[in-house]
Amino acid sequence: MKAVGARLPRYDGVAHVTGRTMYVDDIRVPGTLWTKALRSPVDHADITGLDVSKAESMKGVHAVVTWKDVPLLEYGHLSGLGIPADEPLLAKDVARYKGQPIAVVAAEDEETAQAAVEAIGLDLTERPALVDVRQAFNSDAPTVHHWGNWYPHFEGEMDRRQIRKGSIAEAFEQADLIVQGVYRPAAIEHVPIETQVCQVVPEADGRLTIYSCTQALYFSMGVVAAHLEVPLNKLKFVGGTVGGGFGGKVDTATETMCSLLALKAGRPVKWRWTREEEFLCSSTRAPWHMEIADAVTTDGWILGRKMLTLHDSGAYARFSPYGLTKHSFHHTGAYTIPNLEFDGYVVFTNRVPTTAMRGFGVTSVSFAVESHMSRIALELGIDPFEIRLRNANRKGDTSPNGIAYTDPSTIPTIQAVADELGHELSADYRTATSEPRTGEWLPEHLVGQLGNPEAH
Amino acid sequence: MTAPDVLQPSSPEEAVSLFEAGVTVIGGGTIVVPELTSGRLRPEKAMLLTGAGLAGITRDGTRITIGATTPVSELVSLPAPVGPCAANVADMEIRAQGTLGGNLCAGEGIEAPRGDLQGAMLAVGATVRSVGAGGETTEPLEDFLPNRKDRLLLDVSFEEPAAGAYAPLIRPHAHDYTALAVSAARAADGTVRLAVSGVAGHAVRLPSAEAKASDAEAASDAAATDVTFADDALASAWYRNRTLPVLVRRALTQLQEDS
Amino acid sequence: MKLTINGVERSFDTPPLTTLLHVLREELGITSPKAGCQQGGCGSCTILVDGAPRRACLLPVAAIDGAEITTLEGLGTPEALSPLQTAFHEHYAAQCGFCTSGMVLAAHGYLEAGGTPERESIQEALAGHVCRCTGYVKIINAVAAAAGGEIEATQRWLPQPGEEAPVGIPGAPA
Repeated sequence: MKAVGARLPRYDGVAHVTGRTMYVDDIRVPGTLWTKALRSPVDHADITGLDVSKAESMKGVHAVVTWKDVPLLEYGHLSGLGIPADEPLLAKDVARYKGQPIAVVAAEDEETAQAAVEAIGLDLTERPALVDVRQAFNSDAPTVHHWGNWYPHFEGEMDRRQIRKGSIAEAFEQADLIVQGVYRPAAIEHVPIETQVCQVVPEADGRLTIYSCTQALYFSMGVVAAHLEVPLNKLKFVGGTVGGGFGGKVDTATETMCSLLALKAGRPVKWRWTREEEFLCSSTRAPWHMEIADAVTTDGWILGRKMLTLHDSGAYARFSPYGLTKHSFHHTGAYTIPNLEFDGYVVFTNRVPTTAMRGFGVTSVSFAVESHMSRIALELGIDPFEIRLRNANRKGDTSPNGIAYTDPSTIPTIQAVADELGHELSADYRTATSEPRTGEWLPEHLVGQLGNPEAH
Repeated sequence: MTAPDVLQPSSPEEAVSLFEAGVTVIGGGTIVVPELTSGRLRPEKAMLLTGAGLAGITRDGTRITIGATTPVSELVSLPAPVGPCAANVADMEIRAQGTLGGNLCAGEGIEAPRGDLQGAMLAVGATVRSVGAGGETTEPLEDFLPNRKDRLLLDVSFEEPAAGAYAPLIRPHAHDYTALAVSAARAADGTVRLAVSGVAGHAVRLPSAEAKASDAEAASDAAATDVTFADDALASAWYRNRTLPVLVRRALTQLQEDS
Repeated sequence: MKLTINGVERSFDTPPLTTLLHVLREELGITSPKAGCQQGGCGSCTILVDGAPRRACLLPVAAIDGAEITTLEGLGTPEALSPLQTAFHEHYAAQCGFCTSGMVLAAHGYLEAGGTPERESIQEALAGHVCRCTGYVKIINAVAAAAGGEIEATQRWLPQPGEEAPVGIPGAPA
């Protein structure tokens, strides 16, 4: 066990510092064609005409691919988790976000590919766009998605993630004060220094070799196989060398599109996104709208929490229902709140579909929960460390969905932070532990929520 | 694909004789080359000035003359406001490649204002020697700027100021342009000139503020009347309107301290 | 047109406004400088032109005809890293590695111009270089260590035949 505790060199470190690391764009395959995409220029429109004939017959153009060329046009990346397919690989009847790919072209060089894209005839009838999640529920809101304006396929065909615990009405009645807050973190673009890129080589034996920047090699392999309706052994994925992903390279579709181009052209095909495409058309971390109303006592107990979350999924579902589900579990944060009314919606807007990014689903709710704790502390005139320690999860406390905590670390963490900052805690808070609640840490209203920490 | 016809003059005289309206002039390339790479700009004719002998800084007493293709990095050691303005452009690599001429003649940026040095040069009362329709002209920078698209800038000259100051809005990152900046200079005869960059069109003088230059508060209140603000990706017109008085006050205060 | 790249003279015929980055990557097969943004905004394309760091994506080749170009391969090899490359490796200054080529070359230019271990000076020299992985601290640590002469002139990481590969990085900071 020599490695434990040792400062191990990165296995790719020497290659990085000597310029030897081969990213997808560094792979050189003779005869490779360049790809450019025709993308929707508007937020929302019916596609009434698509004519690729001029582009196809242009000198130097080897293939043009549209929705017609895709064996399975819609495949849900997370259909294994029960999220049905809703997004076409290439737009068919409607463009639902600015930048949505409608056609892709493979040509001898970048300028030819771009000229071919510009030669594609595209007829659109613009439709009103919905870009503010708060308006999604208005009766006169534009309709974004064929499922309606919010995702309706949670288990039991629920149209929201819903958590109910105890009695929120009682909590609000017994409260000394209701503390409200609205939290709206905006979208964040991953900005990997390597833009999205893919290289596909059609092999003589009929297989495809796909050099991919995906963060999830086997996952992407399944996606390509599904869209192409081929068995997995038809594909050879080469990857693992990623110039930054941060969650933005888990829902890549470039592999599928380049595969279709490569098969049609009979030539290797590469697609490297421009930085403009990366900023404007690649998926981002989602914007969220969260409203919290907490029923609190003057001595700092949180009796109940009412919360509404609107998650901006953009034009399609992708991973949003999964993100919202994680978010829902964590809506009490590291704290024990016995009465809960939580409703969370995955809302569709005419924006670039949102995706994973470092802790997605949870960073939003952590931000809101912690901001709200500090707000409560401010309104009650209570020390922000002490209000957290008072309400902190302890062994035997139960989560929003009723699971008893066996080993929460909230209290030692907060005490360590207080130590580090030189913040004085009064005696009771300085000596508090994560052991099951007793005495002053167990007011009447928390008795009913206790569970058995040994139950796992 | 048709690549542009590229002229590469090897002397100032050749550059002058080859120049015509509509040709895309390339100084260092930091602004034009990305436009070519992305395909946003597809000129028929371009002129690359690298070998045209238009670079260099000369001094004649207190008069400083700077050739059009002098890299911005060489301006960093010049007196304020020019020096600090130059030092605040992009990062070291871009400053070493970008030129004074390219900076002054930059067209209005779509997402962010370009041409920081316009403001500093207006403040020091710079004159510009250029060619174009009507032949060679020497004129104040404020007269040159509206027509900069159609002229070939040859050099810029100004009298070294008695005092100078440069007050920009801090950039979040080196790759950002500066949203708004005020340049101030006091000439040898005591006249104060003020200019602002980061506004619609190109940098402009602030005559209403100049008229009250002895009172920093009054000057900062008066400045906005000389300016048309615009929204862009860096900042809103509203924000620029709110911060202009602060920058004017800072510049004038620094100017006092610099004397 | 002619360029001397890492000591080797190469001739090529290309439209004069073709960028140096395109010539290096697509015509000469030198892929260490990266196409991160093609606008000069990220620094991943930086190479040395006559010893000075410049953005390859912004340089028309005609403007630098005849120049000496140094890319990352020219600083050192896995068998013989330069002190600066060693510093980057030992200080974990590269994660995904995509910004590394530009960072190292810019840092190299800084050191050759007499750069000191002072962090603010290093930050100024690297101000045009974006990294999304490391948070920059370890990059600055690496350059400061190299500037301070803390790195031995050559380090060998590849074990010789019969040699057991070292497990830890000798002397790496904890």
